[in-house]
Amino acid sequence: MAEKKVTKKDAAQKTAKKDAGIAPNMAKEEKKPRIGVFICHCGTNIAGSMSITDVQEYAKTLGDVAFADNYQYMCSTPGQKKIEDAIKEHNLTGIVVAACSPRLHEPTFRTATKEGGLNPFRFEMANIREQNSWVHMHDSEGATSKAKDAIRIAVAKAALLQDLIPKSVPVEPTAMVVGAGVAGMQAALDLAAAGIKTYLIEQEPSIGGRMSQLDKTFPTLDCSQCILTPKMVDVGRSKNIELMTYSNVDSVEGYIGNFDVTIRKKARGVLTPDEAEARGFVGGGCNGCGDCDAVCPVIKPNNFEVGMKPRKAIYINHPQVVPLIYTIDFESCVKCGLCVTACGDKKAIDLEMQDELIKVKVGTAILATGYDIFPIEKKEEWGYKKYENVISSLEFERLICASGPTGGHLVRPSDGVTPKKIAFLLCAGSRDNTGVGKPYCSRFCCMYSLKHAHQIIEKIPGAQPYLFYMDIRSFGKMYEEFYYRIQDEGAKFIRGRVANILEDPETKNLKVYADDTLLDRPMELEVDLVVLASAVEPAADTNRTRKLFGVSCSMDGWLLEAHPKLNPCGTTTAGVFLAGVCQGPKDIPDTVASAEGAASAASIPIHMGEVELEPYFAMCIEDKCAGCGMCVKLCPYSALDLIEKDGRTVMQVTEAKCKGCGTCGGFCPGGAIWMQHFTTPQIVAQIDAFLVGGEQ
Amino acid sequence: MAKVKGYPEALENKLRDRRFYGEDTNPEFTKTVKKISDTIAHMCYQCGTCTASCPSAPRSSYRIRKFMRRAVLGFENEALTDPDLWLCTTCYSCTDRCPRDIAPTDVIMAMRNLAFKRDIIPVNFLKTVQAIYTTGHGVPNNDVNRTARKKLGMAADPPTTHSYPEFIPGIQKILDYFKLKANADRIVKEREG
Repeated sequence: MAEKKVTKKDAAQKTAKKDAGIAPNMAKEEKKPRIGVFICHCGTNIAGSMSITDVQEYAKTLGDVAFADNYQYMCSTPGQKKIEDAIKEHNLTGIVVAACSPRLHEPTFRTATKEGGLNPFRFEMANIREQNSWVHMHDSEGATSKAKDAIRIAVAKAALLQDLIPKSVPVEPTAMVVGAGVAGMQAALDLAAAGIKTYLIEQEPSIGGRMSQLDKTFPTLDCSQCILTPKMVDVGRSKNIELMTYSNVDSVEGYIGNFDVTIRKKARGVLTPDEAEARGFVGGGCNGCGDCDAVCPVIKPNNFEVGMKPRKAIYINHPQVVPLIYTIDFESCVKCGLCVTACGDKKAIDLEMQDELIKVKVGTAILATGYDIFPIEKKEEWGYKKYENVISSLEFERLICASGPTGGHLVRPSDGVTPKKIAFLLCAGSRDNTGVGKPYCSRFCCMYSLKHAHQIIEKIPGAQPYLFYMDIRSFGKMYEEFYYRIQDEGAKFIRGRVANILEDPETKNLKVYADDTLLDRPMELEVDLVVLASAVEPAADTNRTRKLFGVSCSMDGWLLEAHPKLNPCGTTTAGVFLAGVCQGPKDIPDTVASAEGAASAASIPIHMGEVELEPYFAMCIEDKCAGCGMCVKLCPYSALDLIEKDGRTVMQVTEAKCKGCGTCGGFCPGGAIWMQHFTTPQIVAQIDAFLVGGEQ
Repeated sequence: MAKVKGYPEALENKLRDRRFYGEDTNPEFTKTVKKISDTIAHMCYQCGTCTASCPSAPRSSYRIRKFMRRAVLGFENEALTDPDLWLCTTCYSCTDRCPRDIAPTDVIMAMRNLAFKRDIIPVNFLKTVQAIYTTGHGVPNNDVNRTARKKLGMAADPPTTHSYPEFIPGIQKILDYFKLKANADRIVKEREG
């Protein structure tokens, strides 16, 4: 990159002056810019790859630069103090810090700028770390030259920055949680306990999610239902939680503090006592007696039992459901009316019920949409859905669970016999780069497989579990101790991934082929049952829901947090937060911790009562606006309108709705729309500074 | 091996230092294998799916996983001088199932190429080269096959160089270009006289 000669009269200045009369905020002649430039070493992160002295000396030669300095860590207290002092001492009008990404420290330096007495928006950041020193680690000369360019560009913009005053909007003091698994329930309970009215939306007829399907939990071996049911009951009882089951989010409009959410309450066919009362049947409504279930002639597989138990067309998933209200599966109901007769005076059943759309307004929202099991039959070599005695870990949970289809007696699906030799395949579909499975670690399979091994040793005398593993990832509190315990109980660990499984067509036993890598011998092991610790993937409806809330996802489909370390519950959409596995695989302790974090984060704007919006709004330069109205149709946020003003039609921006996306500004044929903080002159000045080093 | 401590040679061999000191590896070997095989040989995480899929492994000392490990660490001499290198049947079962999406079979092929450059190659492979040179087939047709083919209603010879011997000179030209035949003849002569 060739260095450019810089003149005192730079092009950016000319552009600014040319347009000065047009922009409303620029009407008054600004005083000559005096920019302070601060270069951060970031330890050796930046200083190790370029000459800080060279960069600083260069900065001093730039036209508008009144002061240049450097420091080891600009983000530290002494670093920030340098900015504050320099503003006062050198009478600066704008600040440039050349350091990391603005995503990391823009807020930090804006605060320092403000503390020094300037408007915080008179700050511009030059990224010389992520976009420079880290990628040009072995090219000091090139990195130095590129840093000079970056600073020259930032100074050109800083010279034209204007005072901006953020707008505050009131926050609706209610919250919404989407998904009522353990994450959603915990988040809703925390919000409710903090005094916030919370809508808890669940697409299934009952709450509890995946955790309610589990038998025991590692490493404490608590019964999953025993620790979950009290929470479910609390959710049902909480005055601050409005629970909406068999419902999903239909549409979302608005922004932080003011989301207008439409909820689709799916036709359940059964009235709650409250709903019955609203229809005038006092004392009626579903009481969960099950008389309808007894007479219903339609039989379908129960999804809660992973299809291993039948249910009727009118059903509850399991005896402990919250809320205890039956649901009609209208896709299989034949509308024979037997249930209506059996229900009698309670008049709880309405076979003609329709979906209902309900609008609510909330200030913040938490997504807790959870996970599904990866369809492991796609890895054909393990024969799931082909061999009867190859089951998934979730099927194992239901089979070993006392409330499951077999009353807790683990049996082989082929013949109902109790298995003695059982193989557990870990990383089934996880850590798989073939494009069939999932490249990530599903994170809780190691631990639940250890638990499964314990359960069969405990329940089946003489049973022998074999765990085929690549690595045992027992990273949590008391997890490694649990691994020790299960090995002590007699589980055999074989370090090798299973290559394939063949079935003996007579006995339906399975031959498992693996390489005992520690013994360096290929092995063939005949077992009675194989349990696949299947990978997990985002729940089916995740993608639709995330789009409604404007949340991004990473390549593997998990929802994207604002920062993986420093903001794991937030998203890039203000006011929308993530809890639990929808953000990435988590075990129960991590899920609950994440939910409590999300609840805390989601309660902050509500307790503050109002939020500041970044003032990056579009602004109409009314002299130039022809009133064509094309921008109005383009705006994705319905923030623009045409109004009559002084006998002309011009565009007007509703600032609370505008997100500063720039769609209108980029399109406007007359150049009549500028984005604040990214005005046309500012951007032109930056381009000029780069292309011609400030000369024209 | 010299009798350093006066033990019998077999025992001396048993007691020799087998530590991996790091310096007997060649990082260039990993890169070369990657380049020739056109697969991510350095990404193996040693799960053993390859060996467990291998039809040779249960009945031989051939361990494809071990060759992958040598590729990762750059054990050039150990990989190229191990006679097991030539036991792969190139069935590609390991390549089908590798969860890291590596092609272990192609890693073996790359190592065989590198071994051949050092004249390390079993004679039967060279005889195959000679057979291709003279007939166009690694396994030329024979009377047993001809009878079987006729019985199945097919021509005695397949529609290859067996039926069109005029194409054999073309094949020879290719082999000559790479000096494959000349090298094969030379090594066979050195070994068998």
